[in-house]
Amino acid sequence: MWQSRPGVLGWVMTTDHKRIGLLYFWTTLVLFAAGGAEALLMRTQLARPNQHVVGPATYDELFTMHGLTMIFFFIIPMTTGAFGNYLLPLMVGARDMAFPRMNALSYWVFLASGIFVYTSLFIGQAPNAGWFDYVPLANVKFDPGHAIDFYCLGIIFNGISSSLTAGNFIVTILKMRTPGMSFNRMPLFCFAFLAASWGLLFALPSLTADTLFLFLDRNIGTHFFDVAKGGSTLLWQHLFWIFGHPEVYILIVPAFGIATEIIPAFTQRRVVAFPLVAVAELLVVFIGFGVWAHHMFATGMPTVTVVFFAAATGVVVIPSTIQVFAWCMTFITGNARFKTPLLFIAGFIFMFVAGGLTGIMFLAVPFDQQVTDTYFVIAHFHYIIFGAAVFPIFGGMYFWFPKVTGRLYYELPGQISFWIIFVGTNLLFFPMHIVGLEGMPRRNYTYPGGLGWGTSNLLETIGSYLTTIGIIVLIVNLVVSYFRGAVAGPDPWHGATLEWTISSPPPEYNFAVLPKVSSAYPNWDYEDRAEDRRKLAEGVMVLEQGHEQPVSSPIDGWWAEIVEMPHDSPWPILLALAMSICFVLLLLHLWMGFCFALAGIVLVLLGWHGEEPQESVA
Amino acid sequence: MADHVAGGVPERFVPRTTDARNAGETAILAGRRRGPSVAFWGMAMLIASEVTLFGTFIGTYYYLRFENAHWPPPGTPEPRVVVPLIMVGILATTSLPMQLAAGAAQRGRVSSARAFLVWALAVQCGYLAWAIHDYVDQLHVSTPQDNAYSSIYYVLLGADHAHVAIGVLLVAWLVWKLARGLTMYRLNATQAVAWYWHAVNLLTLVVIGVLLSATI
Repeated sequence: MWQSRPGVLGWVMTTDHKRIGLLYFWTTLVLFAAGGAEALLMRTQLARPNQHVVGPATYDELFTMHGLTMIFFFIIPMTTGAFGNYLLPLMVGARDMAFPRMNALSYWVFLASGIFVYTSLFIGQAPNAGWFDYVPLANVKFDPGHAIDFYCLGIIFNGISSSLTAGNFIVTILKMRTPGMSFNRMPLFCFAFLAASWGLLFALPSLTADTLFLFLDRNIGTHFFDVAKGGSTLLWQHLFWIFGHPEVYILIVPAFGIATEIIPAFTQRRVVAFPLVAVAELLVVFIGFGVWAHHMFATGMPTVTVVFFAAATGVVVIPSTIQVFAWCMTFITGNARFKTPLLFIAGFIFMFVAGGLTGIMFLAVPFDQQVTDTYFVIAHFHYIIFGAAVFPIFGGMYFWFPKVTGRLYYELPGQISFWIIFVGTNLLFFPMHIVGLEGMPRRNYTYPGGLGWGTSNLLETIGSYLTTIGIIVLIVNLVVSYFRGAVAGPDPWHGATLEWTISSPPPEYNFAVLPKVSSAYPNWDYEDRAEDRRKLAEGVMVLEQGHEQPVSSPIDGWWAEIVEMPHDSPWPILLALAMSICFVLLLLHLWMGFCFALAGIVLVLLGWHGEEPQESVA
Repeated sequence: MADHVAGGVPERFVPRTTDARNAGETAILAGRRRGPSVAFWGMAMLIASEVTLFGTFIGTYYYLRFENAHWPPPGTPEPRVVVPLIMVGILATTSLPMQLAAGAAQRGRVSSARAFLVWALAVQCGYLAWAIHDYVDQLHVSTPQDNAYSSIYYVLLGADHAHVAIGVLLVAWLVWKLARGLTMYRLNATQAVAWYWHAVNLLTLVVIGVLLSATI
């Protein structure tokens, strides 16, 4: 078996999915704090009518950066990057991802893109046309300077990272499952990540193309979005939402996956209707690709288009509902222990249903046109994104904390943090429904008094600070527990999946003996676990030469071959560096330099492929 | 002591990458493994992503076409038909040597695999040289700054040429790698790059077809 390299260099060069997951975790937390600070500033500004804590220009930058940060630099990298990286190989019984060096590259590219986008804030050129950045407002004529260029290049840069991660996850799920784990024995968590990864892989190119067109329009002088020269402004919206709606499912489906792990562990019951839930997780993403234009009902599309997308929006509710029913039935028929993670999941179901109900309301086209661009929409998607994506993330943090650190968190402060966050978010987002129906428009930096919006807005601001306090309690709880918590042991919750069969924290190679799997709840199959222990004692089925890893067939999980995985490598971070140079040169219009940087990328790739994994085995 | 059996295969019969130390052993192991390699699946993901990107470009092309009464707009020349069709036809034939190279590598015949790759590389380089020359030539007549038609025309064509250029680099790298013998790693690379070229050839056919549709 192998050991990780010690020291800082070990982290810089690591290809271990667990270390990369932790790097993602810490980075996204920092960016979450930045996005949260932006939200708090906005809420402070809106606490009373006619305030001037920040001016209109700063407010534009705040809501744009808040949206960008929370979606591209917090939720996607937190769910896929941190949770997915750390847990997915453990759940499928693998020793690493399918492409460990590419996994490291994903992280370094993500970090570089985060730094790239946040540089704009520090030089006073932050993106300021909203997170969906509609043209013509984002055209160079109305938004000169580098602000939108930062947006375009930052999105493309970040998209590279997400695409690499998505491809890596799909191949890991299809090919790296431990032999014997056929598709029907795969945990629901993996189905959710499979669905989200397919979503990312097929949705991101649309956004890449869109931001590329905008970058070319602004910097080269093309006319994709210029109506006078045959372009179209609606083109931007179509391409953006072809990405943007699947994006919503990319955000929440991994959270569904987290929920389907926490619920069985705390009800000690298998999830009701396992195949239906698995199919629903895949379907919700698939149907999610056909509903994008419901974001554009107010743009004057043909009636037939509007009706089609309204109907499709109704259909996408069905798989979501199947999952909600399955979770609720598992609660009811199981033996629920309401510890902190399960509380967060219960809160998630409540918020998701509330946000889903306002979501269905939008398919009533006249109603949608009435509330478009009001706070009602803000209320709806924050119930979905904060309630349905971030609540399971918090629940998951508590749930897997013992696995990652080997220590238990403090239960009572954990439950207190849940109640503060739950009350805080509802106080923050519920009054937005009311002011939205009363006509308060989004993206305005202030509002006049005497319209009856003052009380609701004050409550929202109080809610935002309450939520922040709850999150601080959560973080402090986890930090203190890390140093002083009780030792957790390998399986404090009697969890269902393979990560609970090994020590906490897991060793570098994850599984000393390849685990036997005969159901989707392998940790509850006691005979299989006893056989694993016997094999380990007798030294059977232990792959101990170098970084060996079995590969199986995609559906049946049969043995296909045994491959040698790469060791620690300096190339991923070097490649990310070369790519960062490319993007900076593009931003500065240094085209020749850009070509040289591309040549640099080719050189780095040559070095990357210079050493083959099996050559490094002595 | 029973082996770990899954799907009827005992562990000791499963091919191990590290056991392949020369071309012959690589071929034997490659014949024994079940299904395509992980590298193939990685390439499939890349192809899925790139095809979607081109799908978006092509969707944009037709979206803009239906927004415009005249396509191409007056004053912008129509694309030439005959020469691009012949050239893309020639490029498409390289799928054959690429597939033959992958097959030869699978059977451990390194030198014939290299010969097929050199054959493919020669044709691909010729196409790329013509493509760049033609692209620059057209830029003298119309530019991406003229109108929305030219914008999408040059972006779509340029994106396709970029994929051909990357493919040329990949094949050149393979020719150089295989000069030092065959390993499982290089075999997987050859097969994955062959699939890359099948995809690029298909994309090029579709892209040229889409661009020529303006003349109909």
